[in-house]
Amino acid sequence: MLKYILRRLILAVPVLLGVSVLSFFIISLAPGDFLDYYRLNPSISAEQVQTLERQFGFDKPIVVQYFKWLGQVLKGNFGYSFVYHIPVFNLVWRRLGATLLLSISTMIFTWGIAIPLGIYSALHQYSFSDQAFSFFAFIGISIPNFFFALLWLFMAAKTGWFPIGGIISLNYDQLSFWGKIGDYLWHVIGPVVTLGTSGLAGLMRQMRGQLLDQLRQDYVLFARAKGMPESNVIYKHALRNAINPIVTMFGYSLSGLLGGAVLTETVFGWPGMGRLVIEALTSQDLFLVMATLLLSSLLLIIGNLIADMLLAWVDPRIRFRLR
Amino acid sequence: MKKVLLVLFAVLIAALVIAEPEYAVEDYNGVPGGTLFLGTTSGPKTLNPYWAQETSSTDIIGWYSDSLFNADNKGMPTVPALATKWWFSEDGKTVYFQIRKGITWSDGEPFTVEDVYFTFTKVALVEGMTANGPGGAMDANDQLPTVEIVDDYTISFTWSVPNVWGFKWVGYSDILPKHVMEEAVDNGTFSETWTVADLDKIVGMGPFLPVEYTEGVRVVLERNPNYYRVDKNGNKLPYLDKIVYLIVPDLNTELLKFEAGEIDIYGPTAENFPRIAEQAEEKGWTVGVGGPALGSNFIAFNWVTKDPVKREWFRNEHFRRAFVYMLDRQSIIDTLYNGLGSPLYGPVSPSSGFYNPEIEKFGYKYSIVRARLELKKAGFSWLPDGTCVDKDGNPVEFDLTTNVGNNVREAIGNKVVDAAKKLGIKVNFTPMQFNSLVQKLLGPDYEAVIIGLTGSVDPGSGWNVWRLDGGLHFWNYSPELRPDTVSEDIWWSPDWEKRIDEIFRLQTSAVDPQERYDLFAEFQMICAEYQPLVYTMNQNYLYAHKKIVHLANPEPNPAAGTLWKGYAIWKEAE
Repeated sequence: MLKYILRRLILAVPVLLGVSVLSFFIISLAPGDFLDYYRLNPSISAEQVQTLERQFGFDKPIVVQYFKWLGQVLKGNFGYSFVYHIPVFNLVWRRLGATLLLSISTMIFTWGIAIPLGIYSALHQYSFSDQAFSFFAFIGISIPNFFFALLWLFMAAKTGWFPIGGIISLNYDQLSFWGKIGDYLWHVIGPVVTLGTSGLAGLMRQMRGQLLDQLRQDYVLFARAKGMPESNVIYKHALRNAINPIVTMFGYSLSGLLGGAVLTETVFGWPGMGRLVIEALTSQDLFLVMATLLLSSLLLIIGNLIADMLLAWVDPRIRFRLR
Repeated sequence: MKKVLLVLFAVLIAALVIAEPEYAVEDYNGVPGGTLFLGTTSGPKTLNPYWAQETSSTDIIGWYSDSLFNADNKGMPTVPALATKWWFSEDGKTVYFQIRKGITWSDGEPFTVEDVYFTFTKVALVEGMTANGPGGAMDANDQLPTVEIVDDYTISFTWSVPNVWGFKWVGYSDILPKHVMEEAVDNGTFSETWTVADLDKIVGMGPFLPVEYTEGVRVVLERNPNYYRVDKNGNKLPYLDKIVYLIVPDLNTELLKFEAGEIDIYGPTAENFPRIAEQAEEKGWTVGVGGPALGSNFIAFNWVTKDPVKREWFRNEHFRRAFVYMLDRQSIIDTLYNGLGSPLYGPVSPSSGFYNPEIEKFGYKYSIVRARLELKKAGFSWLPDGTCVDKDGNPVEFDLTTNVGNNVREAIGNKVVDAAKKLGIKVNFTPMQFNSLVQKLLGPDYEAVIIGLTGSVDPGSGWNVWRLDGGLHFWNYSPELRPDTVSEDIWWSPDWEKRIDEIFRLQTSAVDPQERYDLFAEFQMICAEYQPLVYTMNQNYLYAHKKIVHLANPEPNPAAGTLWKGYAIWKEAE
């Protein structure tokens, strides 16, 4: 197993290299560069723009720029942000926390609700509650996130039940430890519900369908026929088989953690990565874009690996193959 | 014994006289205390005054950084700050600044003339040390000033010719603390100093200091106990204990926060202004409308475009004037700005002290008939099917572009297309991405563009646009500036354009304010008459704040907004 993990990690290196080459060149295909705002500033002279071009290395061909960057990266230096004048990793680091907090809360929310609901729906197929759950789930999936977020904020402003965006209250510093956690939970509910509802329906239907498939299999019929208790049939056998594809989905959603939800973050004023990336893209802050792209590729690779390992854990056939 | 006491007493008096700092006394009568809550769409990117570009950064920097003088309510440089007075030498080439005595930086170190000298000789006037470069301080001969310390409290700047623009540039430059910055300047890491990660290292002369920045959440500023201004009752300023900027990226959310009372001062958009004004009475708000903004949106026709036929059209002032007449500015203002805007016909906003009301005599108003008349004067005629053709029979058709996502410019573009159609002119309007647009503008192959530039009270800030060799003279690049795309034989510049160039060189030497005003008044008349850039309209300055917040600015306007003289803003307890 260890050998397998090691092999996967070594294979990840050329993948990341490929990602970096592709993204670097695709970004440079976009017209213009970071200095375009300087070029349209009436109080900055053409000579000054040239000085800055030299300073930022824009006067060199793109291939040279790439290898200079790669050389720095191999030394562990991911470059400076043109806008912030600090190392990009420093910058990503400052935002990573908020994004991870939000995405992990969202994941707990979606998975914690979708899986039990999916199971319940499968066991009570076509019942009133099954239909009702599906109905609400589809409403969630069909309302665009940013609109849902605005509705939520409007509701919060009218009723005062929830804060109007943000991540902490104005008096956060004066709160006790548990008060701080409560304050965070109070703020996170809006974005979590907004983001969670859109993923909920898909996951729930997936779970329901998988379990229904398994319940129709011969081995379930056999188990029931030989008098095995119903709960054992469902939770020990059918569910275990039904959960396989869901675990794979879990791996993929790990990689989605970083990208976050740009629109939702913007509307709620959530200080996450999504907005940082969008700002970096619009201002063509090259190294910052590169760092976030590499980071999310890395997370995708790790996510896949974790999914495979989880699969091996739930599925003996795969465990056998990995040896 | 008596003698000793007397001597001691004399020494004590002397010490007191020397120790008493030269405070600036302000005519305000507020109540100290309280926290002001403001909203901003984005946090600061850097806190280094010489590398900050976005208003999200400069808004914060403005609180802790200070300069030799400040702008008054009309945006004119008349308010003493770190300098108590300034004067020109007899020949106008040298300007002297006398700095305040006995005041200290926020960390308790004394503020001296060395700090000023250091700021200019090691940073502001040095190539490559700042984002904007020292270009603004150059005189008409492209010379930078020589800086000299005259005595302990006086510093002088000398140019080869009088340089008013340079004088203002120097006076508005942020003064840095030498004792904090010297090391970074010497080892070449100045641009990476005072970034958002260095908040605790900042030392300033301004009324407030940043104490906390949570990325994407908020910026907290606290009062600087060593600030050099007092009110008329002897209270040390600023009045407020704290200023908190809440970072709210979405404008709808910001509006909700203002309505819920979480934000004290709010800059409404023209779209939501009526909604704010409606609730003002009941919610206890003050709302107001200042003059039209200082920036501008205009149509530029490229006189050096590749097609010689189109060059002829674009260079014809009657052709351009037809566009002044055919554009129904009021209807755009009504639909886009809820009527909260003003049409513009020249390069200077009516909110500026340099505005010349004479240009209104041209009587430019929406009139298709007059547009048609101007086209006739330019030698255009119409085919039986209504198509407009030039004197050689070429149908009039050209490309117009702007940047995607700016709905004002897109609306202007669509209006131009419609209006031109009425006159048989075909305009192909295709907005493009901002960066592509900049590339296009700096090259030879655009035909016409709708774009805006950041404005300021002083038209002199547009030197890079209006001088013939300016890097943004984008309707008529000179062959010297763009040797690869504009050849000597296609280049043409009318006399009036040369006069504008001359005005922009002369105004820097015009030490007498009236002389400078007259030069710019003439410049506006020329622009209004020949319309090198066809100006469109501007939104008015809009603001709203809680009544319990007492602004220091009696009438907020585009030159000096709601936060002008922030040290004198005070807030009643809620």
